[in-house]
Amino acid sequence: MASGSRPLFGEQQRFMLLLVLPAGLLMLLFQVVPIVIGANASFRDWALYNPKKVWVGLAHYQAVITDPAFLEVVLPNTFLFMVVSVLGALALGLALALLLNRPFRGQKLVQTVLLVPLMVAPVIAAIMMRWMFNDQFGIVNAVLEGLGFEGQPWLVERWTAFGVILLTDIWLWTPWYTLLLLAGLQSLPREPFEAAEIDGTSTWRVFTHLTVPMLRPVIVVCVVIRAIDAFRTFDIVWTLTGGGPGRSTELFSLYAYVLAFLNLDLGRGSAAAMIGGLIILVVGVVLYRVTDRIAKA
Amino acid sequence: MLRRALLAAAAVLAAGTAQAQVKELRIGYQPSPIQDASIAMFESWGAKKGIKIVKVPNSYGVYVEKMTASLTSNSDQYDVIWHNDDWGQLWAHLLEPTDDIEALKYAEKWGMDKVVFGNAQGQNTVVPMGQTFSVFFYRSDLVKPEEVPKTLAGLVETSKKLQAAGKVKFGYVGGMAMNHSWFSWLWSMWANNCDVLAPPYERDNKKLAANGWKSMMTEPCMKETVEYWWDAINTHKISPRGMPAYDRNEANAIFMGGDAAFTVADTLWWGTFNDPAKSKMAGKIAAARFPLGPNRKDPFAWDDIWGWAIPKSISPERKALAKEMLAAMMVDKEGQMKMFKATGAPPPNTTFWPEISAADPFMKLLKESVLDSPHKVRGAYYFANWPAVHKAFNDTVTKAVTGKREDIAKVLAEGAPSVSKAAQ
Repeated sequence: MASGSRPLFGEQQRFMLLLVLPAGLLMLLFQVVPIVIGANASFRDWALYNPKKVWVGLAHYQAVITDPAFLEVVLPNTFLFMVVSVLGALALGLALALLLNRPFRGQKLVQTVLLVPLMVAPVIAAIMMRWMFNDQFGIVNAVLEGLGFEGQPWLVERWTAFGVILLTDIWLWTPWYTLLLLAGLQSLPREPFEAAEIDGTSTWRVFTHLTVPMLRPVIVVCVVIRAIDAFRTFDIVWTLTGGGPGRSTELFSLYAYVLAFLNLDLGRGSAAAMIGGLIILVVGVVLYRVTDRIAKA
Repeated sequence: MLRRALLAAAAVLAAGTAQAQVKELRIGYQPSPIQDASIAMFESWGAKKGIKIVKVPNSYGVYVEKMTASLTSNSDQYDVIWHNDDWGQLWAHLLEPTDDIEALKYAEKWGMDKVVFGNAQGQNTVVPMGQTFSVFFYRSDLVKPEEVPKTLAGLVETSKKLQAAGKVKFGYVGGMAMNHSWFSWLWSMWANNCDVLAPPYERDNKKLAANGWKSMMTEPCMKETVEYWWDAINTHKISPRGMPAYDRNEANAIFMGGDAAFTVADTLWWGTFNDPAKSKMAGKIAAARFPLGPNRKDPFAWDDIWGWAIPKSISPERKALAKEMLAAMMVDKEGQMKMFKATGAPPPNTTFWPEISAADPFMKLLKESVLDSPHKVRGAYYFANWPAVHKAFNDTVTKAVTGKREDIAKVLAEGAPSVSKAAQ
């Protein structure tokens, strides 16, 4: 009779762990280790050109959270961007998903064309938009002037520049919402909609009382994922405005990037990144709980 | 005696063997006309020596941070890297001294000054690629040499005349956004006896520190400069309304498209401006000295170099080979002549300048007005925090020029501490 202790994991569990191991190792190397190094740097005098690595405690954190630019410009801009971008793309994505959910001629073609922005790299999209909104040879001003309106210096005013950034982001992300929401719509049971049709319910009532409530779980996932992603948006803003004019369109990720890689102060840049990480962690948890409660309501 | 001879023979053999083992040199650079022309000289040397030149292009937008990370990590990713006066002091301690390259005796001394490229031991850390400075370009089909504006006020006047005559859409266009400040902000500031930090034109860090890294943002000359551009854009409309957001590519595109009569750009764009495949204005462009502001009477010249450097961290064999290549580039007359023709940037060997100047009116102008000028200005500051100072300066003047005219002084005063603080 065999004696001794039982193995910690059964054969099936060991096999599962083996399958997860490569992904786990990759995550450890490329996610966990850099975060630990970054966290370590945030407590040290760590200039990229001269890494003394002297312990400075919370000095970098204090400098970031007392920086008026961070509190009065960067954080409000970031949250405004997050809210408008997420809701704007959600509304458009839902509208497109509803349109595509009905059979019509050329539906597949339209569906494919609508997905094109998903295949465009954000930096390319931003460069394209920058030239489109150029005040001298951009297509936008050419059209406006053709219609008898005055062309605008879009990237010189704070709110027009912010608008161009939002437009670019919404254009890029709307197809993602469309794809997921369309999949959600197509998986809904048909019976409630047929019953509503027999009862003569208006389209708007069907949308507000059937479609949206039944789609809520999909919407919740979309909003949470996108909100977290929007918080760390960097590429399109850096390419379109560089955070300007002045610092008026600077978002959180640009703030951390400028500290770490333009000013070459890796210590302070890491502290900013850690603060941003904490903020988005809190926002993510709150957002998830709120949207989850809405979904279950 | 015999021992010495044996040791010397062993050293020569070891160096020869080591060099024979090095089969390639990796060049970290940013694609641009002058760098491409300089690397062509490396390739021609490499072809003769059997050394492969591996070109590793890097984006300008991330060049400093990427290269700084590479240098501080002691990697041997690159054997030779593009170097620039802006980063002279940032990297001085990370680069191999180049004083032992004999051909440097042919290089121009102002650009290689120790204030810019010297390390703590006073050794030089650069080999020049060419002179890279900007000049005032104008449309020679619209403006005769004697009509070129000599003052900033004259620039407005001439621009308005040309615009009124329907000859051109704008008078002046130039980059203004961050990292493109030189092409509007900085030159016009220097032209008005003004600078980012006080005292103006001072680049000795000890003197700047002794002055408390005081910014000149609140000086009347700075207010005048910002007001000048505010008026140029909004009142006189000689510059596009979108100019505060322009980088050099957008400004150059407008100038090459024929929509502006004047611009300031690096001389290395001379070749592109006059390339019919790229520029509608090819053959209709000339250059002159900068127009001056009300506070300055003497003409000034902005003169800097771009160069090549060798990371300290690479092996002695690679360092030796890299130096051999750079020394060969310094005396490559044919390559340097080609570089000037392709770019308009004065080449690194000063002994070739008289010959080029005798044959080429553009070089003659550059030599007279910039290279031989007694009133030279350096285009950057030479301390590690310069990028932060530059950004704080650009953010402030951009905010001022895009706001209300009556708020300019207030915005400059609000931004002044951020410029000084960034320097400390």
